[in-house]
Amino acid sequence: MLFLQLLLQGIQTGALYALTAAGFALIFGATRIFHFAHGTSFTLAGYVFLFCWNGGLPGWFGTLAGIAVAMLFGLAMERLVYRPIQRHEGSFFTVFVAAFGVAVVVQNLVGMVAGRGFASVDTRLSLATEVLPDVFLAPIFWIAIAVAVVLFAALSAFLTRTHAGVALRALAQNPDLLRAYGLSSNRLSMLAFAVGSAMAAPAAILTAMTTGLNEAIGHHVMLISMAATIVGGVGSLRGAALAGLMLGVAESVALQFVDTQWAEAVSFLVLFAFIIFRPSGFFGVAQTR
Amino acid sequence: MIAYAANLATIVAIFGILAATLNFVVGFAGIFSVAHAVFFGLGAYAGAQVALHIVPDALLACVVAAVVAGGLSLCLALPALRVRGEYFVAASLGLQMMATTLFSEAKAFTGGIGGLVAIPRPTLFGVEVSVLPLALVALALILFATALLQRGAFGRTLQALRDAESAAEALGKNVAAAKTLAMLFACAGAGIAGALFALHLSFVNVESFTMDQSVLVMAMVIIGGTGTLWGPIIGAIILLSLPAGLAFVPFIPATEVGAVQQIIYGLAMTLLMIFRPAGLVGDLSKGRATA
Repeated sequence: MLFLQLLLQGIQTGALYALTAAGFALIFGATRIFHFAHGTSFTLAGYVFLFCWNGGLPGWFGTLAGIAVAMLFGLAMERLVYRPIQRHEGSFFTVFVAAFGVAVVVQNLVGMVAGRGFASVDTRLSLATEVLPDVFLAPIFWIAIAVAVVLFAALSAFLTRTHAGVALRALAQNPDLLRAYGLSSNRLSMLAFAVGSAMAAPAAILTAMTTGLNEAIGHHVMLISMAATIVGGVGSLRGAALAGLMLGVAESVALQFVDTQWAEAVSFLVLFAFIIFRPSGFFGVAQTR
Repeated sequence: MIAYAANLATIVAIFGILAATLNFVVGFAGIFSVAHAVFFGLGAYAGAQVALHIVPDALLACVVAAVVAGGLSLCLALPALRVRGEYFVAASLGLQMMATTLFSEAKAFTGGIGGLVAIPRPTLFGVEVSVLPLALVALALILFATALLQRGAFGRTLQALRDAESAAEALGKNVAAAKTLAMLFACAGAGIAGALFALHLSFVNVESFTMDQSVLVMAMVIIGGTGTLWGPIIGAIILLSLPAGLAFVPFIPATEVGAVQQIIYGLAMTLLMIFRPAGLVGDLSKGRATA
């Protein structure tokens, strides 16, 4: 039954990975900006929730505050960092380094303010009960799955049914044509950052309730998002989400064969294999770069 | 005081080697590796093992370190041949994370978290020497080699494939060989730096070879200026004197010095990229043409 337990655990982790990765993939797909500080949105949202919770504020308030902070951070990055860089050149590397710098700064600020090491939210939702012989599930498992399903349904409705969503997809495919039709690519890329960053917040809050947060978790989240985006195929939200789920399951199921500290390495082995053998990912079109 | 200065100079020289070799792949070949600390670590462990178990000869340790790190540079050259830009950064980050786990788990080779202790003082032809002159000589040699390569055909090939890979290939340049050789040179250099580091501290553990270290070296290259000869050295001097300088600032508690240092260089990286992407030493008149 250990296998089933690990599988379910993996699905829970994978659902959260999928959410974060989809946010990253949305931003990268629409704006072609490698938003390396995406993990920082996650960290900030998680810690804001943690503070609200420990301060005795109701859970819904903390959730909203977390989402708002993640969104604001994404927007601020777009306005203050990526936009000025793209004005003068915007080579991939310049963008990457600038975002990386911000990630390092925030990580250390969080460490100084909130203390280093793991911090988590105590809630009854993460108390596991035995549902099948030797299989334990906490209510949070169902919450994570439900949140992921609802958010993905909402996101795909947004991208296919609303004007702004369709425009976002158009931006991903052909920015020049989009501008020729008189739409503002500036405003749309802000929208992409707002929506994409907000996607990281629910995952961060649920992570705070399950495994807990530390100030360096942004790196891990970022790496997973990036791996999922590449494995899933750049430009494909569905691919990123599926790959995120798969990486979560792979990390967890691998525990049957190896020790915990190798869990992360499993993800990167998958990523490495994809980069070498199939750089375009599951659903990606072959890239000309 | 002299011992303190000598220690700082040795560390600066070692990190100068690291930054110069990373600059070689980043600045000239356009391969953005975030896994330089991996090869630094491989070199350090290899050098330490030689000193511990065979003979504490500095030259032998450096050669073995260079061979090990250079040989394993294939791990990074392989993805570099397949993908560029974002994809390669992702691959190198992956390698860095896996290597950190490997370093703390492969206890037979690395001593695990506890590391390798009591590495004997280095000797050169049977005479005990300090690491400072060795590191300075190695740094000078590496800079000399970089300058030579930069001017020669190989450096031009690298710059050509950095700026326009397809064009370079169309002109008959062997892209795969050039990239592999560039990685080999850079990683072997990092290995030598690692061996010197191990011999200097006579103690190594995984803490020195984590992602943070890779980022620090990357920051040295960027703050100094990618693609320049002296930029990385200047970056190394600035970033390494930062903790020493911060120690004298009264209102920062000692426990927070590391964090403040990281905040400063993170901020410096971001601001430089926004206002001066060519780095401190970089050429202002021409924008960097990396894509």
